[in-house]
Amino acid sequence: MDFLLVNYILPRLDLIELFNLNQFMDFTLLQQNYFKMFLPEVFLSTSIFILCLHASLIVTSRRLSYPLVMQSFGKLSVLILFLTFLLVNNNAILFMLTYQNTFIFDLLSSNVKQIILIGALFCIIISENSLIKQQINNFEYFLLVLSAVLGLLFLVSSYDMLSLYLAIEMQSLCLYVLAAAKKDSSFSTEAGLKYFILSSFSSALLLFGISFLYGSTGTTNFDNFHLLFAGIDSETSSLTQSVEIALICIMAAFFFKIAAAPFHMWSPDVYEGSPTSSTIFFAVVPKIALFAIFLRLFQFIFASFEELFLFALVFFSIASVISGSFVALRQKKLKRLLAYSSISHVGYLLLAFAANSLEGTQSLFFYLVIYMITSLCLWSVVLSLDTLTNEKRSKTLIDLASVGSVNPYLGFGAMLAFFSLAGVPPLAGFFAKMEIFLSALSSSLFFASTVAILSSVVASYYYIRLIKTMYFEKKRENSFIFPVNRACSLTISVAVFFLLYFFVNPYLLLLLAQKMALCLF
Amino acid sequence: MFFLVEEYYPILLLLFVSIGLACIILGASYFLGIQKPDTEKVSVYECGFDPYEDSRNKFDVRFYLIAILFIVFDLEALFLFPWAVSLSHIGSMGFWTMIDFIFELVVGFVYVWKIGALDWE
Repeated sequence: MDFLLVNYILPRLDLIELFNLNQFMDFTLLQQNYFKMFLPEVFLSTSIFILCLHASLIVTSRRLSYPLVMQSFGKLSVLILFLTFLLVNNNAILFMLTYQNTFIFDLLSSNVKQIILIGALFCIIISENSLIKQQINNFEYFLLVLSAVLGLLFLVSSYDMLSLYLAIEMQSLCLYVLAAAKKDSSFSTEAGLKYFILSSFSSALLLFGISFLYGSTGTTNFDNFHLLFAGIDSETSSLTQSVEIALICIMAAFFFKIAAAPFHMWSPDVYEGSPTSSTIFFAVVPKIALFAIFLRLFQFIFASFEELFLFALVFFSIASVISGSFVALRQKKLKRLLAYSSISHVGYLLLAFAANSLEGTQSLFFYLVIYMITSLCLWSVVLSLDTLTNEKRSKTLIDLASVGSVNPYLGFGAMLAFFSLAGVPPLAGFFAKMEIFLSALSSSLFFASTVAILSSVVASYYYIRLIKTMYFEKKRENSFIFPVNRACSLTISVAVFFLLYFFVNPYLLLLLAQKMALCLF
Repeated sequence: MFFLVEEYYPILLLLFVSIGLACIILGASYFLGIQKPDTEKVSVYECGFDPYEDSRNKFDVRFYLIAILFIVFDLEALFLFPWAVSLSHIGSMGFWTMIDFIFELVVGFVYVWKIGALDWE
């Protein structure tokens, strides 16, 4: 405890204006501060418990004639996520390691937590209506979303292999059930089962790697790893071989979880099969948390092994960019297409990861936020494509036909989102892609950036083909799209505003991304 | 050689005592009990299923549900043992952590009960 006090708290007293030195000498007060750091998580988990009790008592009550609680639970979840966001935002302490160094609180974790909470909030807002339309009347759905968010919050601030593994398992267990949320659809059940089997296999790999690390070093703590491997020479040390095997296992698990190319086969099936509301959550929220924790792991903790993982990162980046771009050309289902497009975007993100520089990591976070905004816009469009004939089935590309003339505003939003994904200039997506390529080039990744740029030309072909479908193709029957609901239209307009705004003035976001990246270098 | 006897003597003793006790219990029930065998009684019994049949038959999914719910409370007991042993070392923080854990399990239990997962019908 004294070690913690001397090393982490005393040098940063200037950052902590709330407390004076005398209070810090008191052990119980130190524990209280631990608790204060966990306030958002404690609030979120307490709310989950209260919601669970409330729902199980209300829904089964004969006196209230078994009411449906989906509407009120959607609103309550949004409120809870917003309050948690405020609590994270209201944090006074800028850096702290808590509970025997198993959790870290710094600018990276708190910023990523805020982004996750906002993303999850928008996901719930836009998918609430489609849940009711698809007659998924299980209140557990929102509890699972909230628990997944809780797991992601723990994941972002975990600073020990054990807490990392437990947090990853917590969020992915919730995601499996979300994929299988539509119980009467065999597609959804299949997606859930596939996701469960493949993802638990990758968790086993992660655990295997962790056990190797523990076996060769005798510790699971990031701080100890950081001190142990600082400036280690991978040629001479006898330790490095088993550590390298461990890192390869951990990396494989990471590539699997973010669906990078040779390990991407689960993602299109899961995206296609699970109900759209769950797909939105998979597509928008977990990626940034996984990237944050693995950037911390590889760029900060195991920075001495960079030769090993840079090679893997470049390979996986090229593979995902190529397969994401070329396989998407043949897709007919909208959700599958978006899944492959997300694989190619993971490729660009890995390219920025492989740059292994401050600029690279900054551009990675910049790209992630822009990608989140764009995909929120795009998925709200996908949710708003319901017509009388296609309401029940999953959407194909032809469902986009003549959206541009039937609902011009919806078409315009979708067009801007597609252009931004393709990286066309007056939009934020262009800027994000340019940042990534510039940082990769400045780290001398010439071959990988050339491949990525060429594949992004191929990718822009199918984005532009979608826009062509929306504006220039006519449907045979007269089409009529249901009016776009309020939440989706709000999300589309906010996202479109930010896509334009971040092109004109990206400095706010760049500054945020730089603050996050600086925690790793 | 002597230290081997010293160290493993209790285990040897345990071995003899357990063999003897098993012989006594089995023998007593074999010789003193009244035996009226029929097919139901002498057939092999394992978890309610016939062990030698086609493994691809259907059986009720509620078995899984009950088993999973059982595991949760099983693990709770598993956590309670080391907690009870080390209670004097871990202070009030450790005590309240376990109380919190049990409370959270109770929330899950209330949910399971109210939702009707424990009813067999």
